[in-house]
Amino acid sequence: MALVHKWMNGTYSLRKCLKLSDASRPFLSTRFADYCSSGLQKPVATPGKASAQGNTEGGLQGDHQREVALDITSPEDKPEASFDKAIKDEIKDHLRRLKDDIVNHWIGPEGRPLHEVLMEQAKVVWQFRGKEDLDKWTVTSDKTIGGRSEVFLKMGKNNQSALLYGTLSSAAPQDGESDRSGYCAMMSRVQRGPFDIKRPYDWSQFNTLYLRVRGDGRPWMVNIKEDVDMIQRKNQMYSYFMFTRGGPYWQEVKIPFSKFFFSNQGRIRDAQHQLLLDKISSIGFTLADKVDGPFFLEIDFIGVFNDPAHTEEFAYENSPVLNPKLFK
Amino acid sequence: MSWAQGILLARSLSRGWRGICGTILMRAPFSQVPSQAPRGLHCSTATHNSDSSLVPSPPEPLRGPTKALSPHEELFRQSPDVARDKATFVRAVQNFGQHNVHKRGHVDFIYLALRKMREYGVEQDLAVYNLLLDIFPKEVFRPRNIFQRIFIHYPRQQECGVAVLEQMENHGVMPNKETEFLLIQIFGRKSHPMLKFVRMRLWFSRFKNVNPFPVPRDLPQDPVDLARLGLRHIEPDLSARVTVYQMPPSKDSTGTADPTEQYIVGIQSPDQQAALARHNPARPIFVEGPFSLWLHNKCVYYHILRAELVPPEEREVGEIPEEWNLYYPMQLDLDYGRSGWDDYEFDINEASTGELQASSGLEEPFPPPLNGQEEEEDDPQRHQQGQS
Repeated sequence: MALVHKWMNGTYSLRKCLKLSDASRPFLSTRFADYCSSGLQKPVATPGKASAQGNTEGGLQGDHQREVALDITSPEDKPEASFDKAIKDEIKDHLRRLKDDIVNHWIGPEGRPLHEVLMEQAKVVWQFRGKEDLDKWTVTSDKTIGGRSEVFLKMGKNNQSALLYGTLSSAAPQDGESDRSGYCAMMSRVQRGPFDIKRPYDWSQFNTLYLRVRGDGRPWMVNIKEDVDMIQRKNQMYSYFMFTRGGPYWQEVKIPFSKFFFSNQGRIRDAQHQLLLDKISSIGFTLADKVDGPFFLEIDFIGVFNDPAHTEEFAYENSPVLNPKLFK
Repeated sequence: MSWAQGILLARSLSRGWRGICGTILMRAPFSQVPSQAPRGLHCSTATHNSDSSLVPSPPEPLRGPTKALSPHEELFRQSPDVARDKATFVRAVQNFGQHNVHKRGHVDFIYLALRKMREYGVEQDLAVYNLLLDIFPKEVFRPRNIFQRIFIHYPRQQECGVAVLEQMENHGVMPNKETEFLLIQIFGRKSHPMLKFVRMRLWFSRFKNVNPFPVPRDLPQDPVDLARLGLRHIEPDLSARVTVYQMPPSKDSTGTADPTEQYIVGIQSPDQQAALARHNPARPIFVEGPFSLWLHNKCVYYHILRAELVPPEEREVGEIPEEWNLYYPMQLDLDYGRSGWDDYEFDINEASTGELQASSGLEEPFPPPLNGQEEEEDDPQRHQQGQS
């Protein structure tokens, strides 16, 4: 993101197209305020940067924006230097990832030798042994639509598990259109390669999902999202239930991928089809069981394995009453 | 009486034709229309003034509603000493149909009844939902020709039917043949409520037994029984024994006191008992808790007593000789793999569990030496009693 920012800034200064840049710069700066990575300090520094490159009118605009901004004292040296440095760091990071990618390609898929990948029957995909493992996940609750549930994620005891805990509240948000509420969710971030290209998981050799969890008796829902480029398929996911037992013992949950049913926009659809495993983007856990109160879920690790005893391909038949077109 | 009714209707009709089917039908038949500045046709009947009436006041349930109440709300307004239960709800629903032959405003009434179900405690009752569906006039909303079938015929009523089924779905009530017959009679076979019914029947029957740890639907009210159920739920060993310690009821109890005295409920399995027997008294034992356990919508708290794992060098491994039991093997080492190349183990960091054994221990619950219980559930009062 910072790269694109700098490139666009460079082109503006090259073109010396002040009117256009004046009009769009506030828009640009606010938009990049959302997507700011931690390396980037202040998006308002960019007008100051443009002014340093010799645009007098851009400098005026930059001055104006400097007054508006909160605590920039000397826009020329300190924020700029760190901004440049942040961009350089990011470029170096991406190039290093690209180099790793090319080198790994020679060794085998994902950097492991081919025979190891082909013969693999059980694979740990996510484990929780440190803070960097927690960064691969993001938690949401119905606070985004105005509800009152809270959810937090932290490392569990002795850094051996992750604890997802919070309070569920099914009080509907008073926005005039929703009459039900109360959900909490934890989703994995999409795996990214060099230059932020999406890298979906390929689990085509496995047929069962394995979770080692410890819950409090609440029913959860496991959602798997595929990597799709079409916007129309953005809200489609495959889900199944995960019932926790509660209690002090660790629970092993094995869900075959053939049991996942298809849903779009949060509703189960009539035309059901199998989950295809070659491009999995993310996995998520949702709690929405309409019971108010505190909850917790402790996850040790998430893996996939190939269960040789499971031969089912898909668990749900399509009904001719609901989809007559499929049966013509 | 009909001339007064005619004048009232004419007055309201003269305000415009738009929304006539909506608002006018929604009002109670003997609505009193004050001669004031014209109101919008779409506003509710909330601003009626019952003082100026051209007709004698009708019986109480049909009085025009007071401000900020939805139409027909008075049917659900009971006197405070009448219990709100299924019988009163059913009576209120039947009252709607009695005085209102043409069932005017049935859509609003059904929405109102759906909202009131929770107060009366009938939201899990299938018969009540069938009764609500019965309010719809039959055979009127079925499409009769192809044009009516192409477009959604009577969309408001279909939405209302779908809302009834959706509330059934939210509370996990499975519809039955009577519901199906009612829906076919009211809306026809290809309507949205009927499609939703087919979906509910399909998915509910698929997911009926999907919970591997089912909890009975009606939980016991007695807290001791609830605690016992909870402990049995979390302990996978079926030969575990539940013990209950309860204080005897005190002699000077007042009438309104809680009949359940302070108690401790515990569960322990034979393996844990054996481990306790082996336990070295010099090593500490930890009480951990309270952890929460949810049984449907009730939360109970439990504690566990555990000890650290003994480091490998101090562990005495007792070999069970094979001749000890000739009938079946005491130790089975079943491997999932078919041969040497099969490896179904997860490559999770096993070394870390080694460290755990030294420090805080893998959670292998051990029973305490005192009262031989592994998991306890107690009253909060018991804590105070222990401290005092």
